[in-house]
Amino acid sequence: MGRFSRIGLWLSGAIVLVVVLLGVVAPFIPYEPADAVSYDRVLEVPSVSHVLGTDEQGRDIAMRLVKGTEAFFLPGLMAAGIAVLVGALAGAVAGYATGPVRAVIVGALQLLDTLPRLVFIILVCTIRNPSVTLIAFVAGVLFIPTVAAVIRRKVEALGSEDYILAHIAHGFHSVWVILYHILWLQCWPIMVRQAAYVFGYVLFVETGLSYLGDYGVQEPDPSWGNMVAQVRSLPPDAPWPWLVPAAAIVLTISGFLAFGNLAARRGEEAIR
Amino acid sequence: MNRLLGLVLLAGRRLAGGLLLLVGASFLIYFTIRSAPGDAIDAITPMGTPPEVKEKLAADFGLDQPPLAGYVTWLGRSATGDFGESLVFAPGEQVMTIARPAFKLTLLVSGGALLLCLFLATALAVVLGEPSPRQQLLTGALYFVTAAPAFVAAIFFSQGMNAFVRRFVEDAGYDTPPWYPIPIYSESVMPYFFAGIVLVAGDGLFMDMLNTVRAEILAVRNAQFIAAIRAKGASTLPHTFRNLVVPFVSAFAARLPVVLGGVVIVEYVFTLDGAGYLLLEASKQRDFPVVVGLSVLFTLAIIVMNLLADVVRAAVDPREVARNG
Amino acid sequence: MTATPEPMLQVSDLVIEFDTSAGRRRVVDGVSFSVQQGEVLGILGESGSGKTLSTLAVLGLVPGRPGVVGGRIDLVLDDRREALLADLPTVVSTPNRGPVRKDDRRWNRLVQRRWRPLWGRVMTAVFQNPRQSLDPLMTIGAQLDESVRLAEPTLGRLEVRGRSLDWLARVKLHEPARVHASYAHELSGGMCQRAMIAIALARQPRLLIADEPTTGLDTTVRQEIVELFQELLAAERRAMMYISHDIREVLFLAREIIVMRHGRIVEVVAAEDLKAGRGRRHPYTATLLAAADLPVGEVAS
Repeated sequence: MGRFSRIGLWLSGAIVLVVVLLGVVAPFIPYEPADAVSYDRVLEVPSVSHVLGTDEQGRDIAMRLVKGTEAFFLPGLMAAGIAVLVGALAGAVAGYATGPVRAVIVGALQLLDTLPRLVFIILVCTIRNPSVTLIAFVAGVLFIPTVAAVIRRKVEALGSEDYILAHIAHGFHSVWVILYHILWLQCWPIMVRQAAYVFGYVLFVETGLSYLGDYGVQEPDPSWGNMVAQVRSLPPDAPWPWLVPAAAIVLTISGFLAFGNLAARRGEEAIR
Repeated sequence: MNRLLGLVLLAGRRLAGGLLLLVGASFLIYFTIRSAPGDAIDAITPMGTPPEVKEKLAADFGLDQPPLAGYVTWLGRSATGDFGESLVFAPGEQVMTIARPAFKLTLLVSGGALLLCLFLATALAVVLGEPSPRQQLLTGALYFVTAAPAFVAAIFFSQGMNAFVRRFVEDAGYDTPPWYPIPIYSESVMPYFFAGIVLVAGDGLFMDMLNTVRAEILAVRNAQFIAAIRAKGASTLPHTFRNLVVPFVSAFAARLPVVLGGVVIVEYVFTLDGAGYLLLEASKQRDFPVVVGLSVLFTLAIIVMNLLADVVRAAVDPREVARNG
Repeated sequence: MTATPEPMLQVSDLVIEFDTSAGRRRVVDGVSFSVQQGEVLGILGESGSGKTLSTLAVLGLVPGRPGVVGGRIDLVLDDRREALLADLPTVVSTPNRGPVRKDDRRWNRLVQRRWRPLWGRVMTAVFQNPRQSLDPLMTIGAQLDESVRLAEPTLGRLEVRGRSLDWLARVKLHEPARVHASYAHELSGGMCQRAMIAIALARQPRLLIADEPTTGLDTTVRQEIVELFQELLAAERRAMMYISHDIREVLFLAREIIVMRHGRIVEVVAAEDLKAGRGRRHPYTATLLAAADLPVGEVAS
């Protein structure tokens, strides 16, 4: 691992840490969106009392940014959990099992994989009561085949390795060998990478739909997406109310993706 | 001849597989509809829909029948391209009538953007050559910039262009360009072009493509048969190109779903009359037949793309037929 | 020793280095050897001894960075002497700061320009892993036709095909027509290597470099391939460098043998002497001989 990658890992790790801290802390910060409105301090530039300035309705942008993490943090974790846990198991079964079990799993995975994710999320939102939790659940399910595909490749590659065969030959149960020796010891870097990716995707969908305004988080509740949406009515000389959350979105997504990739790479190097 | 027969057989098998997937996917879509809470028909229609419209809708979608029978009814109608009539967006119009031109446009924009992305990634990969520590700053910066979701990229792009026009064109006393301000509500091609740029630059697509294309180019370039071809004094270019067709087609096909997701939001941001815009607009207005029709079409596009990619792979690579034969 | 004519290829003080995660490693360390017109030079050594890289350097095909960093490679063709590595920007030293660095893009460009007229016409190669040496997407025939056309550009389509089928028959492939229409993945490793030899020889090079051509093949097939080399060389009086870790193969084919270990040449010896156990052996060569159940003779301390 080169010096540059190591710096990248630290930087992206810092971003992930900050987002996770904010996501954990945010629910405990009291915030009443209606009370925050104050028309005598509209569109103020960043200052000591409002470190990131105020928006069109005089609300503190830093506060909304912090509270905005609530919109995607838990749903993102949930989606990552669903995709990685179910995906890993499905991938392991698809890579190890034979016969009809394998055929059914492979078919189901392939089926889920053909659904266009965002389109299907919108379809579900049309039919059911849209909420970020629902969106994240669907996103998590739709990412199962992606995770399963990489896990399956790994399981198939490792399944024929001598030490795995040796473990089985020594009398360990093959389920234990797969769960512990392959999934736990060998596949965790893959899972970290995929989890970070799915989390980033949920952030992308949540902010995107909140930006569009109908299925995500609705004003006055804060979301980075609906904060960016103020761009539609802002005067050109006051860009910070959308610039700050837009930057936060880009930083967080690229931070999570980079962290997932670099941490996984480091893990893979350590395993080898 | 033997190979041609194998190819035809493989194409046939893939076609059957594709049809099966389509049936499966439509099944999932249909049961998502049926899973609507409460009375399905009330859940999916806007408030105040006249009862006779509701009844017709229920009949069209087989909602008045048990789930499986309803699915068969609906599938039978959908298979002929009949997705029912629009409720709100263009009341009384056949869904296919409004969806077809919009979908064509969307495919054009996303396919074009994907081709552009592939082209740019290839060009950069060739320029960069073997990876070296010195390039990491560049690729790291690119990684960061292109990780922005397409809608954020679109906002940055439009705000940047608009600011540019205000600062350097308007204030300087020149005529403003016809595309100012973005988004434009006009018949010009510029919005499509902008949408394409944003699709290439956003959603992490470019770096993903670059990494894949670069790895494939390096793998072929460093392959032993290329050294052997060089050693016998023949030109390596035709061999390199031919061996890159399969990875490139795969890279293209694998990213179509990503672009088809990105295009939905980008069309909405740039107000293009594509299928993505139509989908979101119809979904907002709870124009349920349009949403379902478009969902099926999007899924169909992905299945067809994978099918085409499989056939091209098999046509170029003789091992493919052997592996699946 | 008889009066030797000027060798067609002379390599002197060749140095090859690679950058690894553990720093720079010297994999070929001042190697010198020469090949006479129409003779076979055997290069013997275990994997990692630098034997393959030394020969790749002759071919101008050393991959990676920094690769070749020093030495001379001289080629004598029709009494014209060509110094292949002369004036190439071998190393760029940055004084007082870090390791030496080579501008490898420029290097590759220059190397390609210099070697392009030589590849195929003067020298060509047969590598190990025959299946990976063949373009997987083209039939054997198409690749062999390519070689034939390069060697004799004036031939018509049918003549090219006829020549290709001849070559396939000469490398003892049964059913040449079927092989001609086959892909690499449809043939066995031994068949692929025969096809590869045909493709290389169809260019009619003056020097054939065979880099462990039998590695990974079954024992009986190895025997046949080695015999094939012997036959084809006897017929054509072509020079060859035969690289192997199998002392028997080298003894069978080569007239002169160099033994390499850890990037250096440990011994240069005539095959005759080695077979007869004449002279004193380097301990490493002695180990190789003993391992192959051959008479060791006297061992130098």
